[in-house]
Amino acid sequence: MATSTYLSNPSLTVNSVDLSDQTTSATLTVKYDALESTAFGGTSRVYVAGLGDHELTVELFMSYAATETYATLAALVGTATTVVMKPTSSAVGATNPSFTLTGTYLEALPVIDATLGELSSISLTFRGGVYAAAIA
Amino acid sequence: MYTIISPRLGTVGDKFVPSEGINIEALIEAGFIKSDKLSTKSAKTEETSPEE
Repeated sequence: MATSTYLSNPSLTVNSVDLSDQTTSATLTVKYDALESTAFGGTSRVYVAGLGDHELTVELFMSYAATETYATLAALVGTATTVVMKPTSSAVGATNPSFTLTGTYLEALPVIDATLGELSSISLTFRGGVYAAAIA
Repeated sequence: MYTIISPRLGTVGDKFVPSEGINIEALIEAGFIKSDKLSTKSAKTEETSPEE
């Protein structure tokens, strides 16, 4: 059975802006706090879901050109926005679901991260927000 | 109403309808969209000097 491969085509939009061609990696983690609900009589610890605490981490090439990475992100740091990821840039469907964090918070933006002889890239973390997956 | 002025957002010239949670001010500031709102500035009135 083949596994999913990502050769060139995942899609990332931040605040509606398509940054796919600047993105080198992205991980959206859906997570809920685990609240222990073990009671007397139980023989194993059991948990129920608490608050959602989702997170998107991305690696982007930094560009200061018009409508590129810096222009997109500069006004978003310290605010909440919406990010959307898809396995491919094709239309949303059962085999290409979209994953959205609405109201996710960008706490920090490395405005410059320079190393001699390397393309400049930055790491971002969007925290929190309401998670939704869609297939239509 | 807003109009797309950067292809990173969609087809330039199309209307932009923001979905929930989109930071419109950031998009305008960075030159991705422009507002179609007409200026609400009122017309200037000419000042007349008081009669002497």
